[in-house]
Amino acid sequence: MKGNIMDVTITKDEGKTFVKLDGRIDTTNADQFQHDILPLMGGDNLDIDIDCSGMNYTSSQGLRIFLMLQKSVMSRGGKLVMRNMNPLVKEVFDITGFSNIITII
Amino acid sequence: MRERSKRFNPITDRSSEIIAFLMASPDMPQDEELRFKIGLSVEEAVENVVRYAYDGGIGWLEAGTSLDHDTLVLTIELRDAGMPFNPLEIPDPDITLPANEREIGGLGIYLCKKMMDSISYRYEDGNNVLTMTKKLKNER
Repeated sequence: MKGNIMDVTITKDEGKTFVKLDGRIDTTNADQFQHDILPLMGGDNLDIDIDCSGMNYTSSQGLRIFLMLQKSVMSRGGKLVMRNMNPLVKEVFDITGFSNIITII
Repeated sequence: MRERSKRFNPITDRSSEIIAFLMASPDMPQDEELRFKIGLSVEEAVENVVRYAYDGGIGWLEAGTSLDHDTLVLTIELRDAGMPFNPLEIPDPDITLPANEREIGGLGIYLCKKMMDSISYRYEDGNNVLTMTKKLKNER
């Protein structure tokens, strides 16, 4: 079965990395999403700002990938911010305690 | 009371199809928040069976919904003949740990517990039976 849409737009500007997510992360596309954000897990991406306004769903599979990203950024001494989260997606982050380990504004 | 179920056999790599079947049920609500919470719970519960119940082997999953029209309680039932396993015995994740100590195990079933009104497990006639319920709003 074809995966659902999860588009990842990455813009680099003066040392900052801006990411825009559009779609949903679920069982059909989590592996693809993990692959698509692999570039953020290394190199000079130390200041990452993710615009979540277009992300309308994530399951625990998406949380797993955001946790990997946060661990990667922390281990390199960088920082990760997620912003404009849909209230239902935010609830998933709140319930699982992910709001305490990732900066959400 | 209306009931609808389908046996998927085999289930290897078919979780998205099984989730789509459940979410297309006429018993499912239209309300966005309810659909989100039920859809997430369905995905997590189905994934658990598809990934782990048969330990890499071949097997079936019977997925069903029912709606009590008097109480507006939606019930989702998943039945499989895999290894006896009660997912409710998985310890809840420690959600207070910092990122570098967090592990991902147990998050899926924890989300089901939080998103649904009730979740229960029984082992019956050689089958694992997981039942989740959610009270719907009157949309009609």
